Amino acid sequence: MPPPSASRPGLYVHVPFCAQVCPYCDFSVLRGGAAARRRYVEHLLAEVPLAAADWSDPDPFDTVYFGGGTPSILPAAELARVLETCRRHLPLVDEPWTCLEANPEDVTPESCAEWRGLGVRMLSLGVQSFDDAALRFLERAHDSARARAAVETALAAGFATVSVDLIYGLPDQDEAAWRRQLEALVALAPDHVSCYQLTIHPRTRFGVAAARGKLRELPDERQAALFELTHRFLADAGWPSYEVSNFARGPEQRSRHNRKYWDHTPYLGLGPSAHSLAVATPTSARRFWNELRTPHWERRLAAGERPLEGEERLGPRELATEALMLGLRTAEGVDLDAFTQRYGFDLEASNAPLLVELQASGQLVLRDRRLVPTLSGLAVADGLAAAFTIPS
Amino acid sequence: MDHIRNFCIIAHIDHGKSTLADRLIQRCGAVDPREFRDQILDSMDLERERGITIKANTVSMPYTARDGRTYELNLIDTPGHVDFSHEVRRSLMSCEGALLIVDASQGVEAQTVANLYLAMELGLQVVPVINKIDLPSADVDRVMEEIDRDLGLDPFASIQVSAKLGTGIDDLLEAIVTQLPPPKGVPEEPLRALLFDAQYDPYRGALLLVRLFDGKLRAGTRVRFMHSGQEHKVEEVGWQRLKHIPVPELSAGEVGYVLAGIKSLSGLAIGDTLTEAERPAAEPVPGYREAKPVVFSSIYPMATDEYEDLTKALEKLKLNDAALIYEKDSSAALGFGFRCGFLGLLHLDVLQERLEREYDLSLILSAPSVRYRIVLADGSEVWVDNPTFYPDPGSIQESYEPYIKATIMTPERYLGTVMELCRERRGVETTFNYLAAGRMEVISQLPLAEVLFDFYDRLKSITQGYGSFDYELLDYRLADLVKVDILVNGEKVDALSQLVHREFARPRALRYCERLASTIPRQQFKIAIQGAIGGQIIARTTINAFRKDVTAKCYGGDISRKRKLLEKQKEGKKRMKMVGAVEIPQAAFVAVLKTEAPADEE
Repeated sequence: MPPPSASRPGLYVHVPFCAQVCPYCDFSVLRGGAAARRRYVEHLLAEVPLAAADWSDPDPFDTVYFGGGTPSILPAAELARVLETCRRHLPLVDEPWTCLEANPEDVTPESCAEWRGLGVRMLSLGVQSFDDAALRFLERAHDSARARAAVETALAAGFATVSVDLIYGLPDQDEAAWRRQLEALVALAPDHVSCYQLTIHPRTRFGVAAARGKLRELPDERQAALFELTHRFLADAGWPSYEVSNFARGPEQRSRHNRKYWDHTPYLGLGPSAHSLAVATPTSARRFWNELRTPHWERRLAAGERPLEGEERLGPRELATEALMLGLRTAEGVDLDAFTQRYGFDLEASNAPLLVELQASGQLVLRDRRLVPTLSGLAVADGLAAAFTIPS
Repeated sequence: MDHIRNFCIIAHIDHGKSTLADRLIQRCGAVDPREFRDQILDSMDLERERGITIKANTVSMPYTARDGRTYELNLIDTPGHVDFSHEVRRSLMSCEGALLIVDASQGVEAQTVANLYLAMELGLQVVPVINKIDLPSADVDRVMEEIDRDLGLDPFASIQVSAKLGTGIDDLLEAIVTQLPPPKGVPEEPLRALLFDAQYDPYRGALLLVRLFDGKLRAGTRVRFMHSGQEHKVEEVGWQRLKHIPVPELSAGEVGYVLAGIKSLSGLAIGDTLTEAERPAAEPVPGYREAKPVVFSSIYPMATDEYEDLTKALEKLKLNDAALIYEKDSSAALGFGFRCGFLGLLHLDVLQERLEREYDLSLILSAPSVRYRIVLADGSEVWVDNPTFYPDPGSIQESYEPYIKATIMTPERYLGTVMELCRERRGVETTFNYLAAGRMEVISQLPLAEVLFDFYDRLKSITQGYGSFDYELLDYRLADLVKVDILVNGEKVDALSQLVHREFARPRALRYCERLASTIPRQQFKIAIQGAIGGQIIARTTINAFRKDVTAKCYGGDISRKRKLLEKQKEGKKRMKMVGAVEIPQAAFVAVLKTEAPADEE
């Protein structure tokens, strides 16, 4: 694991607006008209100098990620103002690797050209499915034809990376149905794919339906089958996974921004609910996060305050726990020696019988002094992380 | 002394002893109505919840009788289960009389008979009390017949009450005064006070409950325990009403409490006699005998850092429980703990619950075992109550196990199933007698080990709650024993090892394996659970690994939340025991060792 200064920090901007709120989404989102969006942008611009005053890392940000919500809902001119303001107050490399999340209905040759003009290199499309029934179930605004058109338009627009988000593991979805989705995806040949297994969060409409017994997550065995199908199918088709839910045609097409979350590279988040990580030393960091709800976030900013909701200090133990938990989600796994060196915990020595057991059961391999999850290990990465002991 | 009556109440579980005690206390005004709560004597939560009296408790009540005189009624509460007969004995020894409660619809039970015999052996005057006469199913005539024929008591001396409604309580109080004798004793003789109970008070130390047979006891007296030899200076004496009321002096015949600044809990033996150090009595109160444990189990704290707390808790509980014995023990799987001896399974159960509730400890108990006598090939003899110390089978010549004489009372219609149960449990010389109409008494000689394992629950179940059971130890008999080990992924879980009769080894091992399989949560890898005798596998189950648990999204906002979840999960694991790489929750140990109600029950 490289020391933190070797990787430059990333900047995240949360745009909370959606034309409609999806029944499975537990992010900070809201429906808001043009006036609400303008008000949000003004507050966001006000947040930048406040956040910058508190950001002491001299390294320039080399990624910018517009996430949401639906950032593509904002006019490009507004996005440009945000970028400009960030550049004025924060160190930014000349051409940061910029990613924008977009809904298919916002994708046109014109909008793509505008986004390219802003320096967007990666366009992440919230397609979710190529099946109309599934899209209706997920209450998406677009249909499958629109989804395909959006991917084709984006691919033609010359972005360095076009990514497609899909959701699988819908109730009653069998392997054949999901395979058809993957085939449709591969036929379009995007550069990058994120396949998220449907998770039912309690405070969502799906969560409420589940609590009433009207909706059920797939049983463990079927989830596992779909998970394996996804990884095998995409690897065979040329999109090997580099994380639990992320697949790329090659290392160059991986999300440069997201990987910072997984290896304790510093990041600064702006906008409601955004999280930040400031790294002081390899074993001491501070994570802080903004007010979750947009009105609270705006109220704090209107009062001239930093809109933080909370923060936590991360010592060697917390950082090590996270590094293990995040590392075991990636194809690279956990570098045992780098882990010991950075965090001071010898994972190998304190988990000897477990390591034997996990290798024997084919969930982990030890390759080049790295703990690398196998496919079946990746499917149970949460349990893997929990099984390890980090000595006190 | 004429105005004192020391008495206890003998009853079967659920026959309403505690409710009756409440009524007596209320009627005597020994308690302010505002402070009154039902079943005052059952002071422990556990007792209230289970409706059984575990710890003998005691209370003094002033009562103005119809003859115009005020009497001091000392009600000495007795525990009501077969495991606690030693406590019953101590309590009975402090009394001149006993109220024998018989349920108006259920009639005489085995338990009642056992305790009645004990009371008679100790020379107590017994007044039969027919309780629950308010119930629609009450059959007073039949019960009076049983009192006459089964108990040999005068049914016309019985008092009919409904403790619940308060009916007949005045008549009962009068009967206590007129039918029960006052205590005898000589105040001028050297002190002889029977220690029949003790409680631990964190501020005042040990509170001793005593019955004075001879002499007087006042603050400042230096007393000696005649069995242990300990000496202490008395700081305070008084009456045990619902509150402690200090008095200048306790005299022969009286019941009261004693504070003597005793801080150390160990070394006090309930049943010991206090005398004056300066002027000791020649003989202690007779009948002292050490309670002998017959059931053994090891207790381990779930979290190893609770070992100290467990040590202290056992010390304290020992004060109120003279029958509890324990010594240090250790297990490869479970760490340090204690090997404890109990009078029976309920005694064990109660101790576990008290440790968990009153001391907030999380425990694992090993499979209960009896004590075996093993004759080795070289002719020497060892006693084994812990499977860990079972000798190499090759070196054993013969093994002997304790047998009991079980007395079971049951309605006639269940006779066949009860006989069958005895047969299943290797009962021999099983016989039966007719008691009153429709009631049978089954007597069987059973290995104690077979009774430990859910016998009582099974009996209750097959007789739909009507069966009752009492036992006494008989002797040791030849046994065909094997040691069954339980292996989790090939590693022996020593706390689950058991000594079992050979013909039961396979079903028992299989049951253990199945219970473990249903309580150990699925883990990262497949878990094999095996039962083995030596190197031979006799039972096997597996737990499949879970296949999919990974969180789909893990970006900026998800990481803290996910880490905290993980930390919480890891915290929960401290409550798990590791056997190799397998995490076994406490619940799994509990489930394995718990008796199981058959599916048709509840």
